[in-house]
Amino acid sequence: MSTSTAPPRGVTNIKVETLARVEGEGALTVRLRGARIEDVKLRIPEPPRFFEAFLRGRLFSEAPDITARICGICPIAYQMSSVHAMEKILGIAIHPAVRQLRRLFYCGEWIESHALHIYMLHAPDFLGCADVVEMTKDYRAAVEKALKLKLIGNKLVALMGGREIHPISATVGGFFRVPSKEELAAIRPELEWALEASIETAKLVAGFPFPDFNQDYEFVSLSHPDEYPLNEGRIVSNKGLDIDVSEFEDHFLEQHVKHSNALHSVLRERGSYLVGPLARFNLNYDKLPEAARRTCAEIGFQPPCLNQFKSIIARAIELIFSCEEALRIIGSYEPPPAPRVQAPPRAGTGQAATEAPRGTLYHRYVLDDKGVILSSRIVPPTSQNLKRIEDDLWRFLPSLLEQPVEEITLRCEQAIRNYDPCISCATHFLKLNIERT
Amino acid sequence: MTPCPEEKVVHTRVIGIGNPDRGDDAAGLLVARRLAQLGADAVEFTGEALSLMDHWENCESVILVDAVVTGGRPGEIIRWDAVAERLPREAFRCSTHVFGVAEAVELARIFERLPARLVIYGIEGVSFEPGTPPCHEVLDAVDTVSAEIHRLISPRAAAAD
Repeated sequence: MSTSTAPPRGVTNIKVETLARVEGEGALTVRLRGARIEDVKLRIPEPPRFFEAFLRGRLFSEAPDITARICGICPIAYQMSSVHAMEKILGIAIHPAVRQLRRLFYCGEWIESHALHIYMLHAPDFLGCADVVEMTKDYRAAVEKALKLKLIGNKLVALMGGREIHPISATVGGFFRVPSKEELAAIRPELEWALEASIETAKLVAGFPFPDFNQDYEFVSLSHPDEYPLNEGRIVSNKGLDIDVSEFEDHFLEQHVKHSNALHSVLRERGSYLVGPLARFNLNYDKLPEAARRTCAEIGFQPPCLNQFKSIIARAIELIFSCEEALRIIGSYEPPPAPRVQAPPRAGTGQAATEAPRGTLYHRYVLDDKGVILSSRIVPPTSQNLKRIEDDLWRFLPSLLEQPVEEITLRCEQAIRNYDPCISCATHFLKLNIERT
Repeated sequence: MTPCPEEKVVHTRVIGIGNPDRGDDAAGLLVARRLAQLGADAVEFTGEALSLMDHWENCESVILVDAVVTGGRPGEIIRWDAVAERLPREAFRCSTHVFGVAEAVELARIFERLPARLVIYGIEGVSFEPGTPPCHEVLDAVDTVSAEIHRLISPRAAAAD
């Protein structure tokens, strides 16, 4: 909704409310003085949720289920980062089949989250539609495809985790229950359909109109020597960062800024950076499986891509990867001898990072000798991207100033949605205020 | 004996939508819980609205209950016939993530996946703070809506009126 009110002489105030298609509650204020941008602030008024505080005093085994409640879209990411950190402390080595199942579980989350964002949240921006309902009138087949893709992701998550939202099967050391070969084989035809649908998705979004917006980003993601990153790897960047996950806090700094209840994360002495699909794609292209790379070649999408508006293409490529990887795992699956490995609690500190759909998710826990959590630290991908979103808007706005206010607003919203921000799992509106003097 | 059309009892599914931990947003869930205890086909739905149409697949008649914000008085009950009319989107923004009940209904309409009968009960909420209980006006409305729906879907209850 966009409203313009009569301003005092010489001043133009434009207030735009209710930006949907963003997870969580936030607001953007842009202050313009003539052709000069005076301020850009992505404000996050949503109250802090204190997860790190109320994990204190809880048993290590409770962390996966408690942290999963942080997000209804990416609970598996929270479960995976927490179980890996705990296993590091307890000295647990999981069975290789369990490791594969965790990747499969994660593929389900990537499929449902990426399908949702590509079609329901982001595509309307590129197609000139107000929302997916309007988009459906002209692109009915595409939306039907999205719904089916999302459903297949949900089914895979439910199969692995016991239910679609906030799954309950993941635990420190493995799973409470692992699927049979037959159960996994049953979802194979749907994943084969999803793979083809994902390839079509990439071809569709590659044809969208993109603004010319190449930036000197520092891309950050996990990197693994043999596989496209999901559950493990070193933290690397295109500007020379290459660290073990345990060194995360030596290099990344979370800062409180007055206008946001979500912390802003920066690389020490370097500033903002970018996590998420485009970063993963640029840093791990050579680990993509065959169909994903073939599609990249067909649509002419190659690293390095420095235009975050094209993150929708990277997301579609990762959709292909998720289906391909899920099919690979299902095809070679042999159930582990036991669903999980248990170990007695012991004191220690453990860090882990995994790749949530929106980017790298870091957890760190300190346990006492009874396995009680003494402290925890959680750095979600969106807080890592918040500063970068503001930086993008500072750089993008000058190209828009000759445009009508409605167009400026729409493009700012689109630039924010490039990051698929998940501000919280509560309400979902972002108010945009443009102040012109 | 084959029942004549007038005697046919249409099975109705009740779907209560909301978040149990955000104040008045729990209204729909509480209605569904009450009706399930009375033996009705009533489900609590805390997921995303995008999958709503999967939850009414193959249902001929559906009643959906959710908290709404229309500017009315707390606990006010609003009823929409979603087959006959479009839902006001702004009313359903309090209990959803990226995709609301109104959008889900409109998508289902385009895809011709609406049930033959879809009635929506909205209960006006005022507070959606995390960790708070519903206000007493909303709890009163939960009683009223539960009783009304029970009468509508239970032939025995209707006959006793």
